[in-house]
Amino acid sequence: MKNKFIIKFLAIPIIAKIMLFFTIVGPGLITANIDNDAGGIAIYSVVGAHTGYRLLWILGPITIALVMVQEMCSRMGIVSGKGLADLIREKFGLKVTFYTLILCLFADLGNTAAEFAGIASAGEIFNISKYKTIPASIIFVWLLVTKGDYKIVERFFLVGCSIYLCYIVSGFLSSPDLSAIKSSFLLQDLKSITKDDLPLIVALIGTSITPWMQFYIQSAVVEKGTGIKFLWHSRLDVIVGCILMSLVTAFIIISCAATMYKSGIRIESAKDAALALGPLAGKYAMTLFGIGLFNASLFAAALLPLAASYYVCQGMGWESGIDKSFSEAPHFFSIFTFIVLVSGGLILIPEINLFKILIWSQIINGILIPAILIFIVNLCNDPDIMGEYTNGPMYNFFCYLIIATMLSVNGYLIITSLI
Amino acid sequence: MIEIHDGHFHFSEITNIPLVNEEGIRLGKIKDYFVNYEEVYPSVLAIQYKKNGQFFYLNWEHVKTFSRKKVVVKNEAPVGRSRTYPKINTPKIVTGLLAEQFADPMVEYPAIGKIILDKQIVDTSGKKVVRVNDIQFIQVGHNLRVVHAAVGLKSMIRRLGFEKIISVLQKITTLRPKFLDHETVINWKYVLAVPDQSVQQHVRLSLSLEDFKGLHPADLADILEDLSNKGREAIFRELDPELAAETLSEIDPDMQINLLKNEDPSSAAEIIENMSPEDAADILNEMNDDRADAILAEIDDTDFHDEIKYLLDYEEESAGGLMTPNFFSFNSKLTKEESLQLIRNNPDEAHHNGDIFITDDNGKLIGICSFLDLLITSENLALEQIMHKDDIKSVAPSEHYGEVIDIMNKYNLVNIPVIDQEEKLLGVVFIDELLPWILNEK
Repeated sequence: MKNKFIIKFLAIPIIAKIMLFFTIVGPGLITANIDNDAGGIAIYSVVGAHTGYRLLWILGPITIALVMVQEMCSRMGIVSGKGLADLIREKFGLKVTFYTLILCLFADLGNTAAEFAGIASAGEIFNISKYKTIPASIIFVWLLVTKGDYKIVERFFLVGCSIYLCYIVSGFLSSPDLSAIKSSFLLQDLKSITKDDLPLIVALIGTSITPWMQFYIQSAVVEKGTGIKFLWHSRLDVIVGCILMSLVTAFIIISCAATMYKSGIRIESAKDAALALGPLAGKYAMTLFGIGLFNASLFAAALLPLAASYYVCQGMGWESGIDKSFSEAPHFFSIFTFIVLVSGGLILIPEINLFKILIWSQIINGILIPAILIFIVNLCNDPDIMGEYTNGPMYNFFCYLIIATMLSVNGYLIITSLI
Repeated sequence: MIEIHDGHFHFSEITNIPLVNEEGIRLGKIKDYFVNYEEVYPSVLAIQYKKNGQFFYLNWEHVKTFSRKKVVVKNEAPVGRSRTYPKINTPKIVTGLLAEQFADPMVEYPAIGKIILDKQIVDTSGKKVVRVNDIQFIQVGHNLRVVHAAVGLKSMIRRLGFEKIISVLQKITTLRPKFLDHETVINWKYVLAVPDQSVQQHVRLSLSLEDFKGLHPADLADILEDLSNKGREAIFRELDPELAAETLSEIDPDMQINLLKNEDPSSAAEIIENMSPEDAADILNEMNDDRADAILAEIDDTDFHDEIKYLLDYEEESAGGLMTPNFFSFNSKLTKEESLQLIRNNPDEAHHNGDIFITDDNGKLIGICSFLDLLITSENLALEQIMHKDDIKSVAPSEHYGEVIDIMNKYNLVNIPVIDQEEKLLGVVFIDELLPWILNEK
């Protein structure tokens, strides 16, 4: 069956090469690319347009944190052969699992809503009303998952994401302010962080290191059945994926800073964000951005609820599996349908501010992720689960440092918004 | 005399309750129970409790009163200080599945919650893998015995502590949906704990074949598919080559490779030798060439080896890849009696959907005869007089499986011979080999 699939596409040479490349990539690359979903693009664009290069340096620590988190989850998947939700359930019991998963599910409702918001925004770029795009995409997503082939979903998503490589080109073409970039990375701008930046910082963390992504990468590694022999192989996969993702992210911020921050343009909608591709595509910037956003949002709208259904069913001990029928795995499909309908429906509410949803869903992620991290680090240190592959002391030190930093940033945000 | 209130309990109801002595001094919080796994319905041996971060245990015989609110023990009852319980050598009357898993030379029991609660178990009667939400105990005489593993929604609600809320809601709305009332439980005698990294630290597991002999390989394959990688490998390793082969044929192709991955070529060859040649060829096709060659080299049965090699030459999705070299093909000059004798001598070649394929001296297919045809012929005729020779349907080995299905459907066939350009009989495709392809499972 695999051969037929590839042979069909060899008729179109370039696409064939890209597809072949993506059949080999590992879970690390996939999850890294998922960062470029609607929420991600929105946050990165806003960071660039509203703060210029000041916050660029944060990408450094975020990338390191992301590599560590994803490495831990892949290692757990390889050594234990079980998913994250399974491990949490077996170690911490039903109560803890239940409340954690409810929180994650709630966050993912927001994330999925953000994807639909992305679809609606992309539609608006082409002047198609959201009352047409949203119902159509709800039906498409539902059919794709219940009747279609999941692997194909993944592959198409990845191909579409390659559009974001355009940001790299655009970044160079936009003649960015190199000295400002340098001073940002040299941490000379630390003093300029105000409390208004805090929501953006939390959102930046939240959109790069989403909770659901960790469940996803561990399940993907388990499904692949990677053996312990290939531990370093998967580490490499994670590192490469994260570096690639950071590159694209950095260039999105740079492009937006160069094109919009300079002129003081503020982003209120997707159309504004498209301006960042101007240097590359000129008057086609809108179209290019629209296509990229639509593709990323549509397929993330399929993948995200799927991942959520998986981890909820795993944790609660219900049957799951995309290749099962509705009667064989009723909870799995019901949860999936519920997420898609509710988040899609949310976007259909008239006058709803799509862009605000994009931003706020990522802030919720940012608040939730330290909690999940605490679980991950705890599980990674348990010799019952990891055998001899537990974290080393230096590794633990950095992990706790990361968690502490995140918690303090979140705490700061909550306090300043309450005052 | 022990005073037990109520008679039936759930693990979630009798843990995290206080343990006090006769004078009311609190000894600690009950965390778990030690039970006698040697029994079909294990009786409670001791109570594990926690005080100041340390674990202790007390034997059941020192309990005075037992209820959901608290447990009272005699003063001065001796206390043990460890997380595991030393094994008692009691005479075995009946052994439960779980007992066989704690084989000698283990001397310490772990507590039951640690092994079973929130873990995956195999339900050998329902033939699937489930996760345990709670454990049911019943009072029998002066003791408590483990009788059921509770899975399902009601036990989940109880464990989460939502029982009161749900019953209040039900009173208000007067709705009593069945799924909230019905308690899904598995009788303890069918429970098989899945070997796990953490459990293995305490016990050495040995699974008796008896448990699995009763299961159909297809059910066993389903169970193995639902387990985690480690559990699957641990159970698979314990199967004898015959059962392993039958089960392997029924398992998802991706998993087949993973399961054989850990075997060295000679043990893998032993398993594969027990499979049918076409199933064996399918698996070897999925592997990378070096590994497949290494295993092929270890196959002692030269006939089987040649059969597989022959089949490996064909594409998996073509008639050649689906056909079996095991069928009856007799020369047309043979008589009915001679044919019946040959069949009696080689019962393994008989396929339940099979026919007898009749060839001439050159191996060319010239006729087909069913077992029924042989049965109803009273005289001892030669096969060429019994057989059907007109309009025999056949396919070429390169024919795609879709075409094969169409032909078999059109002519209502359950098998179809595969012939080469000179009409020599190469093999037969049987319909059960095609079923997974029809259902798109490959």
